[in-house]
Amino acid sequence: MGKMHHILLKIGPAAFRIASAWRQPLDQLAGLYRHYPAPGEGQVDFTVRLEPDKPWRRHIRPSVHIGGDFWLPDAAPLPLAQGLLAAEMGMNLQMALGWRRHLLLHASSVKKDGKALVMTGLSGSGKSTLSAMLAERGWRFMGDEFALLGLDDGKISPFPRLISLKNQAIGAMQNLAADDRFGPEMKATPKGDIRHLVPPQEAVTRMEESATPALLLFPRFGHARELREMGQAEIFVRLTQASTNYVALGESGFRALTRFVDRVPARAMDYQSIEQAEELIDGLWSKLP
Amino acid sequence: MTQKYRAAPAEDLIWHDLDSMKLLYHRPSGITHILADPAPAIFEVMEEAALAATEIIARLTALFDIESGGDAEEIILARLEELSLLGLVSRVPG
Repeated sequence: MGKMHHILLKIGPAAFRIASAWRQPLDQLAGLYRHYPAPGEGQVDFTVRLEPDKPWRRHIRPSVHIGGDFWLPDAAPLPLAQGLLAAEMGMNLQMALGWRRHLLLHASSVKKDGKALVMTGLSGSGKSTLSAMLAERGWRFMGDEFALLGLDDGKISPFPRLISLKNQAIGAMQNLAADDRFGPEMKATPKGDIRHLVPPQEAVTRMEESATPALLLFPRFGHARELREMGQAEIFVRLTQASTNYVALGESGFRALTRFVDRVPARAMDYQSIEQAEELIDGLWSKLP
Repeated sequence: MTQKYRAAPAEDLIWHDLDSMKLLYHRPSGITHILADPAPAIFEVMEEAALAATEIIARLTALFDIESGGDAEEIILARLEELSLLGLVSRVPG
């Protein structure tokens, strides 16, 4: 094993050490995370390692194997050109499998009027794109991948890592955000075309501020515009499916999630354009108590 | 000998209402169950006693509007067996 390079990153409440056999993905990360604070060496929660798939592949057509404190055996190696994606996937994996201080929901979140809007759904629902768009239109970005639900206070803590734009969302955001906020475009990754976007500055400087959740949406892109009420049982089941650590948290997870379902109004939202979604969200938001 | 059933101790169970359903968190297993009628009512009438299915039906009939005759006993027995497989009810020799 050759020398490993590393950088430290703090995103919301979580501190990461990213170690890599190559400089390139770390230089890209350091550039994109340049406005984020660096944690001390002793404060790291997780380590992510980007290593050669095989020792001899460090230089010959290198491919990146993602390792870390927590890992999945079937994580396929990625080409070095997608090393940045590997680092981001590695950080997500550590959070999903290892974080215990909050209930983790696969959800994006944005904030306005001191309250949080949480959007959850399957891949392709548009939750990430919606959060990125709303963040350019008067909402504060809190996160596009995980909403961290406080076990005791029921608040949402921001986890504003890089926004992972996929396919058509890349072009849409390029019309809205300055060029220096984008990472390299990675074509034909296992997740499609990917380009990372740095969240607005305020999302980073105020990433320690939690917010009370005021509205939960289950967006679904590509279906005729509609808002639907949902039963609490359906909401609860879908949120347990959206959580990566509900089972691991045991009773404290049960108490946090039941309180969330009791207190936060929820709707299923079908939409066909960002403008439509924004109109539906503004309508719901203006009627909140 | 009549098969009797006893509900898991109340301190092992956390209940939560969800519209028409009830959530039940079982502390010893850490598993969350979603129960529809009549399962929550069965727990309500069992309290901590060891009861036969016929006794449970008698208590249910006294508290709730249950159709007389028919297959009530079969239904309650089937639910009790399901709940015992989940570890929420235990089978006690009569």
